[in-house]
Amino acid sequence: MRTVATVLLAIVALPALLFGQRWEQQVQGRLARAIDVMQTSSRLSVVKRSGMLNTDEGASLQTPLVEGESYAILAVCDDDCTRLQLTLLSSSGSDIAKERNSESFPTLRFTAARTAVYGIRVVMEGCRWNPCWYAIAVVPLRKTPS
Amino acid sequence: MASVKRWVVVGLVACLGLALAYLPPRGAESSGKSPFVGQSLQATHARQYAQALAEKWRNADAAVRLLEDRQRVKRDSLRASPTIVFRGATLPPNAIRDIETVMDSVWRALGLGETKVRVTLVIELQRPGSVDTPTPLQDRVAYLTPDTTDRTTCMASLPAGPYWTLFILGKREARPEEFVRFAQWLQAGLGPCAFYAAYGTPGRSVRSWLAARHWDLGRYLGSHGIAGERFTSLDLNLMGDPRFPWYWDGVYSLPPATVACLAGRPSGCRAAVLAGAAEEWTIPIPNVVLIERRWWQTQRLLPGERYLGDVARAVGRDRFLDFWTSAQPVEMALAAALKRPVGEWTADWERGFVRPIRLGPTPPLGAAVIALAIAVLVLTVVAATASRRQVR
Repeated sequence: MRTVATVLLAIVALPALLFGQRWEQQVQGRLARAIDVMQTSSRLSVVKRSGMLNTDEGASLQTPLVEGESYAILAVCDDDCTRLQLTLLSSSGSDIAKERNSESFPTLRFTAARTAVYGIRVVMEGCRWNPCWYAIAVVPLRKTPS
Repeated sequence: MASVKRWVVVGLVACLGLALAYLPPRGAESSGKSPFVGQSLQATHARQYAQALAEKWRNADAAVRLLEDRQRVKRDSLRASPTIVFRGATLPPNAIRDIETVMDSVWRALGLGETKVRVTLVIELQRPGSVDTPTPLQDRVAYLTPDTTDRTTCMASLPAGPYWTLFILGKREARPEEFVRFAQWLQAGLGPCAFYAAYGTPGRSVRSWLAARHWDLGRYLGSHGIAGERFTSLDLNLMGDPRFPWYWDGVYSLPPATVACLAGRPSGCRAAVLAGAAEEWTIPIPNVVLIERRWWQTQRLLPGERYLGDVARAVGRDRFLDFWTSAQPVEMALAAALKRPVGEWTADWERGFVRPIRLGPTPPLGAAVIALAIAVLVLTVVAATASRRQVR
């Protein structure tokens, strides 16, 4: 009975998987794999965001980070994206860290000096077929034993 | 004395005849051009104002309708080809299916499958206008670019007109050749949306350049004429044969760079292609591209409507995408994709459609012979007269 239900569910869901936004699925898959690779303290990310941008366009989001905690800020983009810039901003809006050398997979590691709301900005610096899909996640890192 | 009076009367009557022929009627004024050049009469200021206002209303109405449709449209996730919406009548499901089948084949013929930017085609079936408001756009195609929508949808509003309205509603006999023409009409109706679908949103410099020229170089992605082989802006502007005077009337009504390009001059072709590339055009939001009623009369390159489609086919997808999304100035990006100077490549492309015209004065042989004969005759008479005269 369970097998039949699974098959029926697969038949119903198949068109959506086949004909849905494959670029959205592509970046979600990449982000999930990137989180898997990280030494995370939890599989649940603090924040997750995805969307699409044309070349030279940017998007921002805000996230609260806790003092003393280490975080990985990951950004991925689709196959047509050639360069994605990732910036961490303080609550006042000034740059704390910027990653623009990793082309389509920029990553920042950050330990919050104080509990505050921080800003994250992504800029699509290169996209061969506009718009390019991107996804961001902020995940807490496992504390290394001292 | 009597004969002098008669000639004075004849002269006055002739002047009156000329005045009736050339002076504009009451309420209209001359454009100030030479009376020997064909000109249309301008309307009164009040009428011009009313027409400009109606034009603005139509444009705003087209934008609002497209924005409303954007909210309403439900996408069929099973189809990669454009979603089709009909406005003005409710169609039976089998008629909709037939039209979607034609659209699917058009989409495949353009080499398109699943695309990042999807297209929604709103077909406006003809209906009677209201007396309170100007008639909505019935003869112009409007496009709402993805920047204005959700970045992934390009919308086209395509007025069907009386002919295609009857065809779509099944009130006209559907012969096989009618389906071919209908497919051509649908393909041409995709306009800039076909480019958005195939190559995504262009980079800033290309977007600004195309917006400045109302997308005249990117109106048709197909490889044939916009509605069959002999329906291009070239054929519509230059009808007939260079032996006929109306052919040259057509040539000299075109901008100088267009004429120079027709003559095979690379500098003219370069100017015709790069017009609008130097200026930084502010793209409005909502960004509605309206294709003029007589669009072929405003083309700066003939047949420019297929120019970018031909460039894309010539250079291949990768190089065309490099140009399309480039941050460099248009001329540099296009020359890099073509691997040749823009003017030279375009002059060769132009030669593929029309044999370079000859510019400059070229008197017909018969007229030259007659003029020479008259000149020789006059010289002979003068010489003969002079030889008989004696100075005493």
